[in-house]
Amino acid sequence: MSYKFTQQSNSARSVILQKLKKQVEGADYDKLPAETGFTYPEISFEDQFTHFVQLLRNNQAKVISTSETELMDQVISELKARDISSLLYGADSPYSQLIEQGINQSGEQVELQDYDYQLTDNKDKLFNHTPASITSSNWAIAETGTIVRWPSQNEPRTMSLVPPVHMIIVDANKLYCNFSSLVKDQNWKDNMPTNALLISGPSKTADIQQTLAFGAHGPKELIVFVMNSPTDINL
Amino acid sequence: MSVNQYTPDRTESKYTKSASTFRQNVQRDLANEELRSNFAGAMDYLMDKRKASFPSNDELETLRDQCKLIKQRALVKLPHLLEQLETKLNENGIKVHWAETINDANEIIAQLIESKGGKNIVKGKSMVSEETALNDFLQARDMEILESDMGEYIVQLANEHPSHIIMPAIHQNKKQVADIFAEHIDDFEYTTDVDTLIGEGRRILRDKFSKADVGITGVNFAVAETGTLCLVENEGNGQMSSAVPDMHIAITGIEKVVEYLDDIPPLLSLLTRSATGQAITTYFNMISKPRQPGEKDGPEEVHLVLLDNGRSQAFADEELRQTLQCIRCGACMNHCPVYTRVGGHAYGTVYPGPIGKIISPHQLGLESTKDLPTASSLCGACGEVCPVKIPIPNILLRLRKESVKDTKGGEGELKGAGSNRKATEAAIWKAWSLLHRVPAMYKVSMWFATRFRGLMPSKLGAWTSVRTAPKLAPKTLHERVKARRK
Amino acid sequence: MTELNVRFYPSQPKQVYLFGTCLADVLFPDSGIDAIEFLERQGIEVIYPDGQTCCGQPAYNSGYQDEAKQVALKQIEQFPLDIPIVVISGSCGGMMRHHYLSLLKEEPQIQGFCDRIFEFTEFLVHVLKIELKDQGPKEQVALHTSCAARREMGVHLTGRKLIEQLDNVELIVHNKESECCGFGGTFAVKHDDISAAMVADKTANLLDTGVKQFISADWGCMMNINGSLEYQNKPLAGKHIASYLLERTSESNPSNKGN
Repeated sequence: MSYKFTQQSNSARSVILQKLKKQVEGADYDKLPAETGFTYPEISFEDQFTHFVQLLRNNQAKVISTSETELMDQVISELKARDISSLLYGADSPYSQLIEQGINQSGEQVELQDYDYQLTDNKDKLFNHTPASITSSNWAIAETGTIVRWPSQNEPRTMSLVPPVHMIIVDANKLYCNFSSLVKDQNWKDNMPTNALLISGPSKTADIQQTLAFGAHGPKELIVFVMNSPTDINL
Repeated sequence: MSVNQYTPDRTESKYTKSASTFRQNVQRDLANEELRSNFAGAMDYLMDKRKASFPSNDELETLRDQCKLIKQRALVKLPHLLEQLETKLNENGIKVHWAETINDANEIIAQLIESKGGKNIVKGKSMVSEETALNDFLQARDMEILESDMGEYIVQLANEHPSHIIMPAIHQNKKQVADIFAEHIDDFEYTTDVDTLIGEGRRILRDKFSKADVGITGVNFAVAETGTLCLVENEGNGQMSSAVPDMHIAITGIEKVVEYLDDIPPLLSLLTRSATGQAITTYFNMISKPRQPGEKDGPEEVHLVLLDNGRSQAFADEELRQTLQCIRCGACMNHCPVYTRVGGHAYGTVYPGPIGKIISPHQLGLESTKDLPTASSLCGACGEVCPVKIPIPNILLRLRKESVKDTKGGEGELKGAGSNRKATEAAIWKAWSLLHRVPAMYKVSMWFATRFRGLMPSKLGAWTSVRTAPKLAPKTLHERVKARRK
Repeated sequence: MTELNVRFYPSQPKQVYLFGTCLADVLFPDSGIDAIEFLERQGIEVIYPDGQTCCGQPAYNSGYQDEAKQVALKQIEQFPLDIPIVVISGSCGGMMRHHYLSLLKEEPQIQGFCDRIFEFTEFLVHVLKIELKDQGPKEQVALHTSCAARREMGVHLTGRKLIEQLDNVELIVHNKESECCGFGGTFAVKHDDISAAMVADKTANLLDTGVKQFISADWGCMMNINGSLEYQNKPLAGKHIASYLLERTSESNPSNKGN
C-alpha cells in the first residue's frame, strides 16, 4: 500500500512504541501477580442444558426440541405460521441434505435458496428478498445461553445477521458449561476462523428510554432447534 | 422516503462540546427537569440490572480481581503486545495504522475511504470515533457517514453528542425521540411507540447498510495472541458495519489490546454484566481476517487504526496508568451521584462521568478540563463498581494535585499541570497548614473564633444558598476536655 | 478506593486516644464529650491529646498534599503511645487509616500508626464487642453513613449493628441510603449547584421515612444535611451516634424515665 499516510503512520508507530517502552523497560514478567479465576460449583449436564434453554427464552428466542425426523416438519410449520415461502440455506452444510429432502418431500411451496452468490453483488437480494434463513451451529454455551457459530464458505456470516427470521440448529451434545472452557477445549487460539460469532437471542436494543425492542438491525426472531436434547423442554 | 441531511455544523448544536464551560453546562442541565428525570430513571434501571446480574459477591470480587490483573498485565506488556498484535493481524491480512493524534487518525480513515472510492459510509458504535470527531471530519470532505447504533443514530439526527458511553441517547425520552424523528424523517407517522420507532430506524438503516461501501466500527478487545478484533453489541450494527461493506475500518485506543484469547471470557462477562446487567450481549463478534478466497461475504479489506491521543501520557505514570485499564462499561457513570444529576452533556467531553473526568485531562489537558477533577464529592461509588478496580477517587485526587501544583510545565509534566493554581488559594492553604500544625496557634484561633462567634456571618456564599450556616460552639472541644479534667 | 480488607482487631484496651476532628472541635464539641463519656463508661481511659488539630483532609482533597502532609505529620506526633486512636468521624478515620499510607509513604512507622486508627462505631463493635442496653423510649430513626466511611471503613455495617442492638429503636432505611449527601468538603462550595441538588434529594429521602431523628457518625455529612433541613424549616435533624448511644443507654437521662 502506498497511501500518503503510510509514512506518517510509521513514524507514529515508532513514537508511540518508544514512549511506552521507556516506561516499562526491564519489567519482570515473572513477577506479575498470580491471577485466579472464580471456581464455579459443578452443575449436572441436565441443569446446564436447562439453564441454556431458559436464558435463550428469557432473551426472546424460541427454543424447540427436535430430531432428524422432526426437524423439517417443525421448520416448515414455523415458516407457514409466518407466511414465509422462501428459505435461505447453505448447500453442503451439516444439515443441508436433511433440509433439501424435507422441503422436497413436504409438498409445501417453500422455495429453498442456496447462498451461492457473492454478497457484494447481491445485497438487495439478501436484504430485501430473503425473509428467513436456516444455519447449523458449532457449539453452545450454557452459562450465558449462547450459540456459537463459525461461519463458513457454505454458511456465510450474513446468513445469521440479515434475514429477519433466523433458524439455527444446535446439537445439545456440543454444549459447554462456559465460554472459557469452550475456547480452551477446542483450542481456538490456534484455529481462529475469519469470523467467530456468539449469538444469544434475536437482535435487540434498549436505546430508547430503556425499553426493550427486538429486531434492531439483525433478525427479529431467533428460532433454535435443539438436537439430542437431554431433557424435555417442549413444555 | 429519505432521511433529511443533518447539518454537520456542530456549532449550532444544543450541546457545545467544551469542558471549559462546565459550570454553565451544569446550571443549564440541572434546571432541566425533563433531562433530570430521564437520567434518574435510566440510572436507577441500570443500577438495578447490574446488581441483579451479580448474585454472588464472591464471584463478583474474584472476577474484578482477575480482570484488573488481566488488564494490568496487558499494560505492563503493552508495547510488546501492540507489536505482537500488529504482526498477527498482518499475518491474518489485516492492515494496522498508527495515529498519535485525532487528526492523524481521521486523515488515515479519510484516505482509506478515498482509496476505495467510498461514498456511503456506515458506522457502528465507537466512542473512539467520537473522540476523533470523525463524523465532522468526513462530512467536511463531503463524505456521508451515518451512525447506525440506534442511540447514536438518534443523537446524530438531533445534531447532538452521546450523553452516555453505552446508551448514547439516554438523555432523550421516547417522546423526544419521536419529535426528533418527526423533524428529520420524511413521512414519519408520529408515534411514541418504541417498537415502531425502532422499526423506523431499522428500515432506514438497513437500507443504508445494503448500500454502504465502507463500514467503521470500534473495538472492545483486541487479542494479541491471535490477531482478533472483538465487538460486543446487542443490535447488530457492529456486525452490519463489519460484515456487509467491502471495506471495514476499525478504530481503537492503544489500551484495548489484551494478551491471550483466554483473557476474553472473564473480561466479556464482567463487561456486559457491569454495563447493562446482561449475562452476555446478543452478539459477540470476533474478527480475525478479511474475506478469504472461497468466502462469500465479509470485507475484502480490514484495517485497524490504533490511536494514542493522550493515552501514552497516562501510561507514563504508574498511578495514572490505571486509567487505561478501563473496559468502557459505563458502570461508574451509572452509579455516580453527580452524573445522575447533571447528565452526560454537562461534562462537555466525549467521555462523561467519573471515567471521563480521569481520561479527558490526558486528551484535552488539565487547563481546559480544570473543573472536572473537583466536580466530585469523592463518594467512591465509581471505584466500588468499577469492574477492573480503577481507583477513580484516588486518581481524581491526584489530578487535583497536578492541577494546582507549582510548576513551570517542564518535561514529564501532565499537559496543563499547574494551570488551576491560584495564588490566593495556594496562600490560604499554606496559612491553613501553618495554623493546623502549630497547636498553640490553632487553639488561640479557635478560642477567638468561638468567643466572637456572634461576628460570624450568617451568609457563607454558596453554602448558605440552600443551607443555614453552621454555628460555632461557645467553647471548643479542647477547652471542654480540659475543663472536664479539672 | 482503598480496599476494605479483613482486619485484625485487638482485645479491649485499657486506654485509647480520642481524635476529636476539627469540625467537632469548634462546631460540635458535645459529640466529642459524649464519645469520651461513653468510652469511659466501658471502663476505658480516654486520652485527648491537646496538640491535635485536623487530620489534613481538607487540603489533601483540594490537591494541596504538601500542606496536608505537614499537618498529618504533626498529628502523628500527638499520639505516641501504642494504643488505639478512636476517631469520631468516618471520613477523617478513612483519611488517617488509608490515605496517610500514600500521603506519608516514606515515613517508616506509618503503617503502625494507620493500624491504630479505629472509627468510633467500628471500635465499639469489633474491639469492644459492645452489648448495648437500651434505656430509651420506643422510636424510629434513620441512619446516614458517610460515603468515605462506608467504603473505606465499613461503618454502614457497624452503625447498623449498634442501632439494631437498641431494643426500642427501629431503624428505617431510607431510599437510596448509600447515596452521597453531596458534602464532599470543598466540593460543596466549589460545585455548589451539584451539591445542592444532591442534598435536596438526600433530605427528601430522609424526610420520606417519617422519622424525627437520623443518626450519623460523620459531622461533615451531618453539617450539610442538618443545614439543609434547617434551611427548609423541616422538623428533622441528625445526631451524632456517640451522643445518641450515650443518651439511649443512660438511665439518668430524663427522656428515658418512665419507659
